[in-house]
Amino acid sequence: MKAARILVLSLGVVLAISGAVPLLTRILADSKPNIAVNFDNAGPREVEDTTQKAIVRDYSLAWQAMTTALANNDSAPLRQNFVGFALDQFVQRVKDQQGAGIKTRIIDHGHKVDAIFYSKDGSAMQLRDTASIETQVLEGDKVVHSDQAQIQYYAVMTSAEDRWKLRVLESSPEK
Amino acid sequence: MRKLILFTLITAVCWFAVDSANADELRVPQNAVAGQPISIGLSGNGNGTLFLIGQGQIIKREVKLGNDLQIKGEELRSAGRWIAILRSGGASQSQAFWVQPGSPENLNFLARPSRVPVNQQGAISGTVFLFDKFNNWVLQPTPVNFSLSVKGSGVTRAVTSRNGVAWIETSSAAREGAAQFVASVGSASVRRVIQQVASQPCNLRMHVSQRTRDRIIVETDPVRDCTGNAVPDGTIVTFTQNEKTGRSTVDARIKKGIARAELPASDNAMVSVAAGYTLGNELRVGGR
Repeated sequence: MKAARILVLSLGVVLAISGAVPLLTRILADSKPNIAVNFDNAGPREVEDTTQKAIVRDYSLAWQAMTTALANNDSAPLRQNFVGFALDQFVQRVKDQQGAGIKTRIIDHGHKVDAIFYSKDGSAMQLRDTASIETQVLEGDKVVHSDQAQIQYYAVMTSAEDRWKLRVLESSPEK
Repeated sequence: MRKLILFTLITAVCWFAVDSANADELRVPQNAVAGQPISIGLSGNGNGTLFLIGQGQIIKREVKLGNDLQIKGEELRSAGRWIAILRSGGASQSQAFWVQPGSPENLNFLARPSRVPVNQQGAISGTVFLFDKFNNWVLQPTPVNFSLSVKGSGVTRAVTSRNGVAWIETSSAAREGAAQFVASVGSASVRRVIQQVASQPCNLRMHVSQRTRDRIIVETDPVRDCTGNAVPDGTIVTFTQNEKTGRSTVDARIKKGIARAELPASDNAMVSVAAGYTLGNELRVGGR
């Protein structure tokens, strides 16, 4: 009898863990993309320590904002971290998603980023990002497309009032 | 019995082949370019909904399967990775494809600084980001021409962009004035103005211009930099008078090219002049 109780209890614990782990993974994935940036090849200006930290923080925030905006069809989160062409593009994308009745869920599996250009005056930085991304397109609540791909992005971040903002973001076939 | 099995197998294979031939199929373009028309192949029967999802744009169309869908050039604005999703009869199928940016038509030109002293090595930088007419970033190598000229003379340099960026670093010219800094690709060009101003004063000299019983007035010769450009009015010039009883200092602004100061008359004093880190001549003044 006691053995049966222990067995039931153990099964319950296993069930709880099996449910909690993916949930936790999803929450963590949604909240903070895993971004590693290599600044060794940036030039012509050397990237300052404080700038390195700011770029990692703000590029990560930009992806988080994009993920939230596309998942909720709400462009408000974009305005904190995007500017210029990139802001225009993603605001339009959200508008088009609303019109088409779809949403996009991005499950971010991490970014390997190289800083490849840092302007002489320290106002703009170019990044090359190899991102592992799972994209799900939902029509209502139904997933109508899902794919996982490694996508190469080129990005330009420019310094704004209190942070770096994503000004240009474009995906490109890997060379 | 064997014949029956063989017949059943052949029937199944034929059925599968016919079914496969009639199945909905999505064919995406292989070499799409933003701003140019594309065709999406849609085979099968019946109706469906096609979503084309680009980074900055979504196109949704109700489609009749069996006919290819034509997308006009002006509709296809966003470059990068696209996903085509065909929804038909409760099922969906999808494929990813790439759209290349068009040819460069817009330049985003960062020129720094807006004001610079003459004759400074590597003081001016220009960075160009290339975009097509829909503001897609053109990452293909593209030659960019930079020219920097002031009062008819200057430098021109061609740089090939790398990953969508072209930049140069250059020195300011020897002559002051509004330098025209131009970046161009094909017929597209962007102009920035960089004000080149005189550098630090050079050969700073002063003389006593007026002397009375109680005061002396000292003034500089026209203040110029080492290449002969007039140092701008408003630049501070410091006159210092040292004598046994103490020191008097007057900060005077250059006005019409000359700085002037009034100092107390002294029996025996040494007057010096300086501007920025340039020291001028010294004068011994004495005798009331």
